[in-house]
Amino acid sequence: MTTPLLALTDLTRTYSGGNRRRTVLKSVSYAFESGRMYAIVGPSGSGKTTLLSLASGLDSPTTGSVRFHGRDIAELGLGTYRNRHAATVFQSLNLLTYMNAVQNVTSAMEITGVRGVRRRERAHELLDLLGIEPADRTRRTLQLSGGQQQRVAIARALACEVDILFADEPTGSLDHETAAGIIEVFRKLAHDDGKCVIVVTHSKEVANACDEVLHLKRGKLVPQD
Amino acid sequence: MNLFKRAWWRLTGHPGKTLMLVGLFFVICTLVLSGFLIRSAAARAADGAKKSVGAVATMQLDVNALINSGKNNGTGPEGQRGGTIGSHGDLRRSLVNRICASSVVRRCNYTTDSGAFPTGSTKLYQPVPAPRGQDSRGTDLFKVDGIRDLKAVAAFRNGDATLVAGHGIGPHSKRDEIVIEERLAKRNGLKVGDTAKLKVGELPAPGQQADDREHAFKVVGIYRSGTADTGSYVPAMVDPANQIYATPDGASTLLGKGAGADGVLKQATFTLDDPKDLDRLKKDAEAAGADLEIFPLSINDKQYQTLVGPITKTADFATVTVWLVAVAGTVILALIVASNLRERRGELGILLSLGEKKPKLLGQHLVEVVACAVLAIGLAGVCSQFLSQAVGDRLLASEVSTANQAAANEAGRRDPSDPTGMAKKDQLEAKPIDAMDVRLGSADIAKVGITGLGIAALATCIPGARVLRLNPRDILTKGD
Repeated sequence: MTTPLLALTDLTRTYSGGNRRRTVLKSVSYAFESGRMYAIVGPSGSGKTTLLSLASGLDSPTTGSVRFHGRDIAELGLGTYRNRHAATVFQSLNLLTYMNAVQNVTSAMEITGVRGVRRRERAHELLDLLGIEPADRTRRTLQLSGGQQQRVAIARALACEVDILFADEPTGSLDHETAAGIIEVFRKLAHDDGKCVIVVTHSKEVANACDEVLHLKRGKLVPQD
Repeated sequence: MNLFKRAWWRLTGHPGKTLMLVGLFFVICTLVLSGFLIRSAAARAADGAKKSVGAVATMQLDVNALINSGKNNGTGPEGQRGGTIGSHGDLRRSLVNRICASSVVRRCNYTTDSGAFPTGSTKLYQPVPAPRGQDSRGTDLFKVDGIRDLKAVAAFRNGDATLVAGHGIGPHSKRDEIVIEERLAKRNGLKVGDTAKLKVGELPAPGQQADDREHAFKVVGIYRSGTADTGSYVPAMVDPANQIYATPDGASTLLGKGAGADGVLKQATFTLDDPKDLDRLKKDAEAAGADLEIFPLSINDKQYQTLVGPITKTADFATVTVWLVAVAGTVILALIVASNLRERRGELGILLSLGEKKPKLLGQHLVEVVACAVLAIGLAGVCSQFLSQAVGDRLLASEVSTANQAAANEAGRRDPSDPTGMAKKDQLEAKPIDAMDVRLGSADIAKVGITGLGIAALATCIPGARVLRLNPRDILTKGD
């Protein structure tokens, strides 16, 4: 039996607020493999973003563990895990507004220590792949449209060359055609480059494009038939 | 390097905020640097004043101490009876000369106050006679000052009196040498080298006969007093034309006392470079054999204080300003940085999600603030010299005006540290320093640089502690 790329084991996350305690996830377990694209779906408030935060190392579980190649990411260090193995595309607050698109991408490459590539050239390649026009690449990100910003954020995540890509509603602010293009990029990333792509989405189109769809309901993660 | 690049992008990406931070730092650094410049200008002025005026230490008999010591009825070293308080109360010239040799004494002088009655050949200068019926017997005499060095007399030092013929009295002058005023010389037809005859200036005790012996003195110098005739009657002994300078022995002779190599002085003054040298002077005086219980040495640094008082107050104000501005600046900047951090939570969250280390996030903030501080320090260096000169001059002018007013109110009051007024007389008339020489030096820039960067570091690190507690999930996700 091979060790999965990412294994969630009995993950529970409880939030405390004053005297109230609210358990969002209850004993969630699942193993994610390389070269596959996963969709996590579920109604609002079901804990999708919490699950994404725990799996991507942005947060720590109340109980249970997240293992990367069999090693607990808490031992590895959440910062190190995020820096070297996992990248996340968020719903909002995606870009550094005082930088242009190219600077956002190259800056992320510098932080994550991507070596052996010419960073600016790679940034232009990725932005080109995601349909950002050359003239828009040197504009401050606040001057870009919501869809363009989202695509720059995806380019930045791709530039980090990590093993797992997390995306929280990545096509939420994109038109149908651009969204389809993005999904295609994700699929290629999983199938051609052997990465693991985990997408939290409400979109049926996105879910249908994934290899596996996982339903999060009442704190439990269940594969959808 | 990444954090430096990000800091640069951030600073150039938000020019308005950058300018605001530079502006705030500029104000802080300019005020702090101005304070430093005023303080160093004041310190320089105080040093200069110390060198120019020094401080005058006075040595004279403390009668109460002598009585308490029980030495008041003893006999002198020569076995002579010393009068009612005994010879232990005599301040000997030989002792004072030994103290004058101390390395901390810049100038020394001693005085014997005396008087002399006129004779048939040497008459008083009285341009306006006494009103009819006024008894002027008690004041119709010359005022004689027995001195060690005419050049050390305040009137000659400050130019009120000048020698117009012959030479003055010096440490090696003979007992019978005198210097007289030009008008008195003219009145009596005296020239340098002539002999003037004077009588003892003490009125006889009741029942005793007056000492009518005439003592011959050689006129060795003639001086011109800066005080002109008033045109109305003044008692002879207070008329400046009747002021005669003699040696301490000569003055003793005119007091009816015998003169000798070790004459008795009334008081001695020692001008020191620095009031702090008094302790050293006391040690040297004790080593020379002085009994400092009976002949205490007291300092009179009033002239120095008059000179430096206003500029010192200005420097004190500048010091308070430096501290206030530094503390207030740190607080204001810390609040601004804290507010910036709050505003930049999203940015911090994104960088944390990329795996950026928290100290590096703090480092980026520090680099941004320090860059603004460095720019502001440079600008402050250019501007603060002018500002501190202008502000310093205004503050100093106000302090000088206050000091002058206080001095005018105090004029005429007796100084308890100088009961005979001799120390005061021996000093030049002091006017407060009323100009400030502000000079910007590399040390001042270094000081403000350290202060400015310290403020930057504190203002960044205190609120920056929050960055270290940040959790990227709290920033970037809604936590549904």
